[in-house]
Amino acid sequence: MATGLFDKLKMEATFWLGRRLPACDELARVMSESLERRLSARERMRLRLHFLICDYCRRYLGQLRTMRDTARERPEESLPDAALSADARERIRRALAEREE
Amino acid sequence: MIRAQSRAAWSNDFADSNEFMTSPQTTSDSRLSDPSAWLDAHGDYLYRYALVRLRDRSLAEDAVQETLVAALRSPGSFGGRATERTWLVGILKHKIVDHFRKTAREAPFDSDEGKEIEPNHLFMQTGEWVGHWVAAAEPEKASSFGPFEWRATPEDFVARTEFWTVFDGCLKPVPPRLASAFTLREIDGLSSEEICDILGVSVQNLWVMLHRARAHLRNCLEQNWFKPAAGGR
Repeated sequence: MATGLFDKLKMEATFWLGRRLPACDELARVMSESLERRLSARERMRLRLHFLICDYCRRYLGQLRTMRDTARERPEESLPDAALSADARERIRRALAEREE
Repeated sequence: MIRAQSRAAWSNDFADSNEFMTSPQTTSDSRLSDPSAWLDAHGDYLYRYALVRLRDRSLAEDAVQETLVAALRSPGSFGGRATERTWLVGILKHKIVDHFRKTAREAPFDSDEGKEIEPNHLFMQTGEWVGHWVAAAEPEKASSFGPFEWRATPEDFVARTEFWTVFDGCLKPVPPRLASAFTLREIDGLSSEEICDILGVSVQNLWVMLHRARAHLRNCLEQNWFKPAAGGR
């Protein structure tokens, strides 16, 4: 009984907040910008309130950060099949020889 | 198997550069006089470095050529301060940036550029919850629309070449300027100001570009790597 009431209140609160805060697609843009600049106090508050009711957006921000951390660690050998073709190698060798003369 | 081989090749590279670091005097002099030795020792490395950033084989080949030619013209700038490879990569970075600047001058940024790659289908398009995640508004669809929980942490996949193949595949449909903004920011860690200067865009434009590239890449990586159904990696 008590949990039923709690769930109902929580749902009401979720709807109430959801209608008053910007939608997820708009916040996705703000979350991306949070990696570029310091958000305003208003933006930060809206985002925090939104996170209370939206696990998906919270997850989204975490994933943007994971992508950044991952990209920064990219090993340079991570293109295993890529090597200069014999043609390109020969062309470069000729260009170097011309310049050297 | 393939991975084991590339790893072995990579550790040889490291062995090489360690050698440079420990005995710069003897190695630098002999190699400076022979630019084709640069090509043999560093050509593929420079090519891969350029390919990640330019995403085009012939552009990457040109960048390697320009780099080695420039290095030949000013061997004096290699003062043995760094390894030969670091020196060449430094020149290559400038060549890559020159290319971006040139392309930016040729075609100014259009605010609709890359709009088509935004994964709008993840958001409700109509109704009471327009703009909210489909997964949240219609829980019965949550198993096919993200964002999903990513169970893997970067340590689990950052060293796996398969992951980077998926990553590069996901960058393919991204318009060149957006992809460049993304790689300069996220892989090379340049500041917003530097990137705006290179790509000739305002900072607001850059934020839009990064948002679009990230939204697309996140969804693409999720569908092709992180999603539990994609193999539970």
